[in-house]
Amino acid sequence: MNFIYPKTVNEAISGALKMFGENHVTATIWKASVAVLAASLGFVFYMLFTEGHASFNTSSDGVNWGSAIATYVYFALISSGLTIIASLATVFGFKQFYPVAKRCIWLAIVTLIAGFAVLALELGHPFRMLWAVPSGMQIYSPMFWMGVFYVIDLGLLIVKFYLMWKEDWDSPFSHFIGIAGFIAVVLASGMLGLLFGSMAMRPMWFGSATSVFFILSGVLSGAAAIVFSVYLAYGFDTKNMPEQLRSLALSDQLPKVFATLIGIVLVFLLTRIWVGLWSNQDGMEGFVALLNTPWFHLEVWVCLALPFLMMLSPSMQLAPKWQVTASILVLAGMFIERLQFIVAGQNVPMFKGTWMNSVTPYTPSLTESALVVVGISTALALYALGERLSNLSAAPKESIEAAGQLARG
Amino acid sequence: MAKWGMVIDLEKCVGCQACTVACGMENSRLPGEMWQDVIFFTEGTHPSAQLKWFPRPCQHCENPSCVAVCPTHATYKTEDGVVLVDWNRCIGCKYCMIACPYGVRFYTDEKPLVAPDMRKVLASKDDHSWNPPWKMPDAREDWKHGVGIQPHDVVSKCTFCYHRISKAPPGTPDLDPQDPKLREFTPACVVTCAPGARYFGDLSNPNSEVSRMIGDKRGVRLLDQLGNKPQVYYLTGDGGAVPSSRAINKKV
Amino acid sequence: MSMDLLKTPITRRRFLQATGTAGALGAVGAGTLPNFATLTEAQATTPPSGGQTVVTKSFCHQCPARCGIDVYTTDGRVHAVYGTLDNPLSEGKLCPKGHYGQYLLYDADRFKGPMKRTNPKKGRNEDPKFVPISWDEALDTVAKRLNDLRAKNESHRFGLIYGRGWGATDAGLFKDWSALYGSPNIGLGHSSMCSDGSEEAKKILDGNHAYNAYDYANTNYMLVFGAGFLESFRPFTGNMRAWGVMRTKPAKTKVTFVDVHLNTSAASADRALLIKPGTDGAMALAIAHVILTEGLWDKPFVGNFVDGVNHFKPGETVAAVFTDEDIRNRTLAKEKAAAEKAAADKIAAEKAAAEKAKTKAALAKLLEEQVLAKGNPAAEKAIAGKIAKFEKEEAKKALSEEIDRKQREALDKDKKPEPEIKAGQALFEEKWVLGLPEWWNAVLKDCTPEWAEKITTIPAKTIHAVAREFGTTHPAIAIFERGAHAHTNGTYSGMAIHSLNALVGSMFAQGGLHYQMKPPAGKLPIKAEDFMDDYAKAPERKKPRIDMVKTDKWPMASNMLQEVAKNHNTAAPYKLDTVMFYMTGPVFSGPDCTAWEKMLGEIFVINTSPFPDETSVYSDLILPDHTYLERLQVADTYPYQGYPISMIRTPAVKPLYDTRVFGDMLIDLGKRIKGPMGDYYKQVGNTENIIKAIATAFAEKPGDNGVNSYESWKEKGVWYKKPYLWRQIRGEFYEWDKATKSYSKRMTQEAVKEKLMKTPSGKFEFKSGYLEEEHHVHYLVEKFGLPAEMIAFPQYLPANHAGGGDLHFVSPKLAMQAEGRSGNLPHATASMQPSVGGKKTVYLEIHPDTAAKRGIKDGDRVRVKSSVGSIEVYARLYGGIRPDTVALPMIHGHWGMGRWTKNRGVSGSTNEVTPNVSDAISGQCCYHSAKVFVEKV
Repeated sequence: MNFIYPKTVNEAISGALKMFGENHVTATIWKASVAVLAASLGFVFYMLFTEGHASFNTSSDGVNWGSAIATYVYFALISSGLTIIASLATVFGFKQFYPVAKRCIWLAIVTLIAGFAVLALELGHPFRMLWAVPSGMQIYSPMFWMGVFYVIDLGLLIVKFYLMWKEDWDSPFSHFIGIAGFIAVVLASGMLGLLFGSMAMRPMWFGSATSVFFILSGVLSGAAAIVFSVYLAYGFDTKNMPEQLRSLALSDQLPKVFATLIGIVLVFLLTRIWVGLWSNQDGMEGFVALLNTPWFHLEVWVCLALPFLMMLSPSMQLAPKWQVTASILVLAGMFIERLQFIVAGQNVPMFKGTWMNSVTPYTPSLTESALVVVGISTALALYALGERLSNLSAAPKESIEAAGQLARG
Repeated sequence: MAKWGMVIDLEKCVGCQACTVACGMENSRLPGEMWQDVIFFTEGTHPSAQLKWFPRPCQHCENPSCVAVCPTHATYKTEDGVVLVDWNRCIGCKYCMIACPYGVRFYTDEKPLVAPDMRKVLASKDDHSWNPPWKMPDAREDWKHGVGIQPHDVVSKCTFCYHRISKAPPGTPDLDPQDPKLREFTPACVVTCAPGARYFGDLSNPNSEVSRMIGDKRGVRLLDQLGNKPQVYYLTGDGGAVPSSRAINKKV
Repeated sequence: MSMDLLKTPITRRRFLQATGTAGALGAVGAGTLPNFATLTEAQATTPPSGGQTVVTKSFCHQCPARCGIDVYTTDGRVHAVYGTLDNPLSEGKLCPKGHYGQYLLYDADRFKGPMKRTNPKKGRNEDPKFVPISWDEALDTVAKRLNDLRAKNESHRFGLIYGRGWGATDAGLFKDWSALYGSPNIGLGHSSMCSDGSEEAKKILDGNHAYNAYDYANTNYMLVFGAGFLESFRPFTGNMRAWGVMRTKPAKTKVTFVDVHLNTSAASADRALLIKPGTDGAMALAIAHVILTEGLWDKPFVGNFVDGVNHFKPGETVAAVFTDEDIRNRTLAKEKAAAEKAAADKIAAEKAAAEKAKTKAALAKLLEEQVLAKGNPAAEKAIAGKIAKFEKEEAKKALSEEIDRKQREALDKDKKPEPEIKAGQALFEEKWVLGLPEWWNAVLKDCTPEWAEKITTIPAKTIHAVAREFGTTHPAIAIFERGAHAHTNGTYSGMAIHSLNALVGSMFAQGGLHYQMKPPAGKLPIKAEDFMDDYAKAPERKKPRIDMVKTDKWPMASNMLQEVAKNHNTAAPYKLDTVMFYMTGPVFSGPDCTAWEKMLGEIFVINTSPFPDETSVYSDLILPDHTYLERLQVADTYPYQGYPISMIRTPAVKPLYDTRVFGDMLIDLGKRIKGPMGDYYKQVGNTENIIKAIATAFAEKPGDNGVNSYESWKEKGVWYKKPYLWRQIRGEFYEWDKATKSYSKRMTQEAVKEKLMKTPSGKFEFKSGYLEEEHHVHYLVEKFGLPAEMIAFPQYLPANHAGGGDLHFVSPKLAMQAEGRSGNLPHATASMQPSVGGKKTVYLEIHPDTAAKRGIKDGDRVRVKSSVGSIEVYARLYGGIRPDTVALPMIHGHWGMGRWTKNRGVSGSTNEVTPNVSDAISGQCCYHSAKVFVEKV
């Protein structure tokens, strides 16, 4: 698939429109995603106009933040992870990762946009936020700083992508943007973690480890996203890939990094659940509830432990189908993780006594589920658009050499 | 400037919920949107069975975590010590609900507790989230202080009946509802409490009854270990209870 | 019932007939029709008062207590209800229900005006297809039926059934109406389904068929049997205010609470005892037993054994009189004591003589020494000193003896002379009670705590402890209500409990209990008896009431509403033709309530409720009443502290809809009856005339708050005059003396009998003269299978638990339970059942062990079933209920009451499983006596 990439805005728009008539993997994703997005967004809007946020299953009695916030966190952390992975090449000089850097940046942009879109639909007054946050200047609020850093992050990502589009891989300015972006994204995702981690009254979230966990698990989900999207872009066939990308894909570096990240996340998860189950502290009962859900076990054993073993196994780690399988499982697992993390943290209601007789029940409503679909389809549609409108596999020449060495070595 | 606070004597409280209802009607609350609630706990099996309770208004903390987390400063603390929500600034992010250790905040747009949704039966034609015929007089409504029928998609909470207390003569040590001159300035829950379990006054005034009672009767605060320093004190006497645990059913 | 009842069709004509501000509140119902304002629009068109808030005085109607309320209205909108500060019942406070006044006013489901049924078929699921009619058409329709009944000589077949009606302008109208029209069934009250058992027990013992007024603020001990003191016992607001005082006064009032589950009242007490349902009487008897055996009864009020010796020994009878042998023994004992005393005196005298001799010797010795020492000045001085010291000590001793002697003499002088006891003299001298030794011998002697433990499951040790506390902590009061007396043995149990009040001398004492005084009331210048026509006077009018009260069937009951449907359905004594309902809905709230559906299905039904309810589903005519905030009405107080209180409510707003206050409805109907009856009601005019007439009495007797006229009454909302006029102080009765402002006028026995204890003896009768009346004896012997000589005593009889199940079933009332209407009040529903968190529905409270045996888990749907029916409900495991009992509040399960009662999680009324069983004496419906099966659905 070698597209003729548009160079002007008009060309880009016509390229996007043309995609509806084209017949290749990217076009298929585009068409399907736009259709799903239109349907799900239409439903969400209909529900918000008729029922308002009462169409959510969230409740002041317990789970205030539901699947929409989880979806936002999910996408925001994928975005952060992708930015950090891109930084391997752009900031830390691991040039062998250049072939995925541009795709990472694009994906980081689109997932962040998807996350923001879902967040905007979850918020009561998203437009009011535009003036109320800057004019409020509530510097004590983790949410304020998270917003600041993510906005900076998004700006820097767009600049960085523009530079990459202009083939400026290595100018001092490009370097500076890369470094600034890395710092911003660590602060943003770390602050997202602190948004939860600062809550001493919610012991299941409390602690600085939440911040570290958010950053590292973000990198894992970013890694899964890039692995998946690379294969997706080339129809799950390495033969279709450009040389340098294929080299990266077929080296054992990627699975090793992937396995390491899964391992770190597993350690975090299991130590967290250990502490949670061991502790008698009030409010920690949510961990017991967590352990009793099938979702938790699906996440830990199927979506994390299994890919971990796959990526360690010498016979499986290099096979594209297992890499793709592992990445899909991890992406699914991380979504479960975000939802469970957020819901379980609120499961023990704050002083509701007999009025909430046990842990708060929560299942996303149809509207909330549709909102998850809005997020996913937004990300996929924008991703496909990026594939079509820009060569996301573009990389500087030296990286091609590095990749060549990798392949030979 | 006064620092308004409340003292609740659990030895007198009988768990009747008149405070809850008076608050709900005074402030035009939706069913289940209990700015003031009485929280009940049960434990054990007879003869060890216990049924305990304590009334829970907003604690109007000295160090309110809800104020700190609000990204827009919609939630704020007034000079006279009351924590309020400015409905013109609130973006409905619910972070304050997450950060409040006492569970006293409510989001406007949720599934109705009891169907059909009263907001639809008594629908509003303007920005208000609903329009009950018994709502408070228009003149008292004050969105900047979170008083009245709120708009859609904001967070609401107990205001200590700000529309009443803010009109009290300056320097009043206690708002005693049995004093005809002060009755109309006293929070609804205090006015109606039949056993007289609630006291409202100026915590910064050494001559106030509330200040004295906190000392004489060893007032305690809810979840003091969190450091929010509530301005609502409980007198436990004997038989009263301020639970240290918020969970009701440990087996999940 | 389909939603169509709620979607009352409203025509433009109906709308225009509405008075002033009315509109259809129709966001869900008729709101979609053109030209119909929603209620809020109707509000908006009310002429604004410029933001001025008007406070109207009224009194609450959410329970029978009638607390004074301030209704806040601004711009024609009622937005708040608070207690009236200068009203004795509320003193500025209210219970939770009181604040819902404006909700009822603006209830979205209210009827908008009179309507008639067009669907002749009746049934739970039949849409009545009501169409609006005018008031004239509605009243003419009723009047025609009533005139026709008279023409057919069948006026007794018109019945008027009422519940929460008080005062001269509604319930007060029934007597004249009944007499003038000629039906015994006008004003069939619901008191047997309320708490007649309580009043009857008091009637039997102290002659007052009434609830008590209590002096809670001064009591030091409360023993409560089955009354939700802090949830549903009246006056709720007053109880709570008193609680605040009782529990924080320097000597904190100690409270023992007896119930079958842990509710907020029980949990507030110092001791909660979960008793086996229907056995409260046994516990009370055991307490009486302990009080007597341990000599703890109040001697000044009750009296004492003449010889000062407690002859109450467990298991032993007490002789009525002293026998010759008693006298002989007494003499022997006296002689023995005298002999013993003489012997002791002799020994003491000998001892004293010896002592005296010794002293004498010592002095002689000293004198000798003095003689010897003569000449030696030093020795002389020393010996003189010794002698002086000796004499001084002797003088001191003598003085001390002298003082002792004088004191003894003084004590002997105060000593009461030993009672002169003769053979044949009563052993026990009773002061204000009658029949205590007889009661002991017949009942109490064997009622040991150990005996009671076997019946009640309350440990004997605990009963002992409670009895000692009750007997030694003065003043103490024992209270009971439906939990204790809504059983087949209820009156006897109630008597056992109420007897405790006499035993500890709390009757009419400070901190005890008394009875409510009536306020003065002026009368209209015309008299109904002057308007009786020949028809009304005819002897054929002396028909029995349909509930057979005061016949051989129910000779002692006041009302038997629960019998009406049963009797009608079996045509015994006859069938009714037309029935009008006022503030009651036995088709939901009566026991075995489905019987009413059969009855209402075949007669002409008129409902006067402002709201849809189950009765209206079966109604042929709807004549909607005002809600209470729209009314002008009067009422006396509910029994409170005894002094008289008279209340008035004035409309806070003009009626929202085309409704009419019930009293005026009745008068307007009377005007339409042919003959002099119509003339009478034309002269009465309306209820306001009656109220104005009542107020004339205040001119002579102005209230403490200055109320002396109709106008000042409306302004203040209440007339009252303190204090309560009588008090018993240490066994003597005194009347209030205005001059000295004290209870200082000693009352004669006759005055006490006339004013306070209206029994045949004028005393508190443990052996009831009322029950011993001949026509009662036969009835009781037959009903309870007791020997005739036993019927007069408070005693324990096992309750008859109908229903056939294995678990006791109780349906308690809750603090949030407004009279009949809270099922449709989402705000009330939201905090209805705190013990188990019932906020969207109510749950069946079931003990965890009981549930486990039936495979029931927390939150499971269960079926509650008895011999008369079954309902489905969600269960909640609760360790605060007895394992042999389940509790389900009677609140949800409505099928015709309004949009918010639908799908509330309870499939029907608790009364669909409660069999129709009554206490033979009081006629009290035994709501808490059923036994049911509970199984997982």
